[in-house]
Amino acid sequence: MQERIFVTGAGLLSALGTNKEEALTALRAQRSGIAPLVYLHTSHKGLPVGEVKRTNREMMRMLGLPETEITTRTSLMGMLAVREALEQAGLSETNGLRIALISGTTVGGMDMSEQYYLDFLENDTRNAYIATHDCGACTEMIADHSGLFSLVDTISTACSSAANAILLGALLLRSGRADIVVAGGSECITKFHLNGFRTLMILDGEPCKPFDADRAGLNLGEGAAYVVLESEDSARRRNVAPLCGLSGWGNACDAFHQTASSPEGEGAFLSMTKALDSAGLSPEAISYINAHGTGTENNDLSEGLAIQRVFGENIPPVSSTKSFTGHTTSAAGGVEAVISVLALQHNFIPVNLHFSSPMKELSFVPATVDRPVRPLQHILSNSFGFGGNDTSLIFSKTESV
Amino acid sequence: MNDIYILAARQISAQSPLCEAWMDTPVSYDEAYVRSIDPDYKPYFAPNAARRLGKILKRALLTSRQVMEACRIPHPDAIITATGLGCIENTGFFLDALTREGEELLKPTHFMQSTHNTISSLIAIDAHCHGYNSTYSHKGISFECALLDAFMQLKNGSIQTALVGAHDEMTPDYFKLLKRIGYLGHATNGFSGETALALMLGSVPNGQALCRLQGIEMQYGTDRAALQQTFGRFLQQLAVGPDDIDAVMIGVNGQASNDRCYAELCPVLFPGRKLIRYKHLFGESYTAPGSGLYAAAVCLNRQRIPAHLRMHPSHTEQCGLRHILLYNQFENKNHSFILLSSCGE
Repeated sequence: MQERIFVTGAGLLSALGTNKEEALTALRAQRSGIAPLVYLHTSHKGLPVGEVKRTNREMMRMLGLPETEITTRTSLMGMLAVREALEQAGLSETNGLRIALISGTTVGGMDMSEQYYLDFLENDTRNAYIATHDCGACTEMIADHSGLFSLVDTISTACSSAANAILLGALLLRSGRADIVVAGGSECITKFHLNGFRTLMILDGEPCKPFDADRAGLNLGEGAAYVVLESEDSARRRNVAPLCGLSGWGNACDAFHQTASSPEGEGAFLSMTKALDSAGLSPEAISYINAHGTGTENNDLSEGLAIQRVFGENIPPVSSTKSFTGHTTSAAGGVEAVISVLALQHNFIPVNLHFSSPMKELSFVPATVDRPVRPLQHILSNSFGFGGNDTSLIFSKTESV
Repeated sequence: MNDIYILAARQISAQSPLCEAWMDTPVSYDEAYVRSIDPDYKPYFAPNAARRLGKILKRALLTSRQVMEACRIPHPDAIITATGLGCIENTGFFLDALTREGEELLKPTHFMQSTHNTISSLIAIDAHCHGYNSTYSHKGISFECALLDAFMQLKNGSIQTALVGAHDEMTPDYFKLLKRIGYLGHATNGFSGETALALMLGSVPNGQALCRLQGIEMQYGTDRAALQQTFGRFLQQLAVGPDDIDAVMIGVNGQASNDRCYAELCPVLFPGRKLIRYKHLFGESYTAPGSGLYAAAVCLNRQRIPAHLRMHPSHTEQCGLRHILLYNQFENKNHSFILLSSCGE
């Protein structure tokens, strides 16, 4: 029997608020954070998105950073979410522990690069932001803000980045290479990927309707979310109470198309199956599925069919919380991990908003009632990315890990 | 715990592609910006695919296909890619159009192949691999991040084979940017290169393995005492003494700030060990350390280190190699140690 992995801290910054208490309140009140776009400088003003409702300057103030500090929106959001996670886990110094930060991002410092790209090419006025462009720079800014980390690592598997960061965290703990791992992801909305998704015609001009017959695409979101992972032993030694356990993980590749999922959801089927296998659980043990559920025609059909393949007749409640947060892309696996942790702690099902018409291809409809029939024990959380990078995680009540 | 072998390796770089000609006839460069020597892709790609795929993707697909064929492993259990900057040519096209022409006239083509994980997922699509698939992008230690993932999974037995890649391209525009911040382009005897390296790792030797991958360790931060401790523990865990190391492969590239770190740390960490280098052959890139591992693996396989790799040319060629250590540092902040050993060891 391998040692159990506990979640001892969580931080979440999203359209639902700047910490997880605010997110919990909004989820329970069934109040979406999606609103007309205001913070990003784009010609698509008014488009429904899940923005973090703070300017960069406001976040710098929250962090106590001087206004002259060179930062990016993704790193600022990451610093806030990591700070919340560390505080909850009671980590303010290293105490000789080897603490790792594994962060997922794809846009990195693109928010600044897209503003200053012509300067980058033509003059030296914005050089500081050349150095903050890449994904690793973002992770290091977050790591250096707390100064606790002796191992840093950045994963970039598009919309499953944060989920893969959490998976890697489990591997690092199991191999004994880290005592504590802070894992998740951060991603701000940029004009770059907002327009990229727009050219692919997968943005809904209205609030998104995951798993609805009339779904018309996704709403982009932004945010940062991290969990603190450690062994049962380490949590006991440090005298911190676990929030829940991380009991299973699975990564598979759809290997079908660069930007579309296979019709039968092969990758999704495999990642869910692998996660169940690694947790030693049968499908019936899952109390709730936090779906990837972007609200695009392609994803929800493919994921829905894969869920049916895995769970057969006994499909547990399924919902997509992207109807609350928007699709936070590289951060999504972290955002939804923390939402899963909250759901386990407070025993509620985050509902699927804006659902009205069942998809005729599926045997199930998304969950719209937040009270579970039986107490939640195990939650399966899906994150799927471009290129078919599919990852599933299972979070379990502490006593059920 | 399983032993791990490097079963095959292929590269496309500033050296002759898809071979080890650099061992005896290295190509040398005087310019600061060097693009890779591409092989003729016609035999490998249909004309429309060749047009559609950027350089980084063609190189990644071809090197990957060749190692899979060489090892007769058509479906590796894992495909793990390192890329410091990802598909910057496509990213640059989209960014350029966005900033010059605005948000209304954009087309999806370049966006679709702009994400970092395009490379790893395209290899999976090409080879129909549904296994584990991931992408690491962390500056000058991207390669070590990818290698560490493969290493842990091979060690714990959850996979038996892993295709690990190191892929970075360098466009003229991005070179200009990195020159502005002093990362590239100011070297006196080094150059900016592009990396395309595919390695097959496996826990079962196939009779043609280049060497064994004994261990990998990474450390973040500027604390040198901690670094020394980490290195000491690394060797101890592998039961290898400092004197067992035949050579240390380091990432000197002709840049003063980079080379100073090695000059200061090597005498402390590896006193008396012979130092060898690779960036004079393959250039600097975020995933260049992959080329260092490749070069060391070939040396172990052929049981000789050519004179042009040696930091002190007075040293003659060396035979009877058992262990080569790779030490990489990036901006004096990210450090990594990798130990390769000959198959017989």
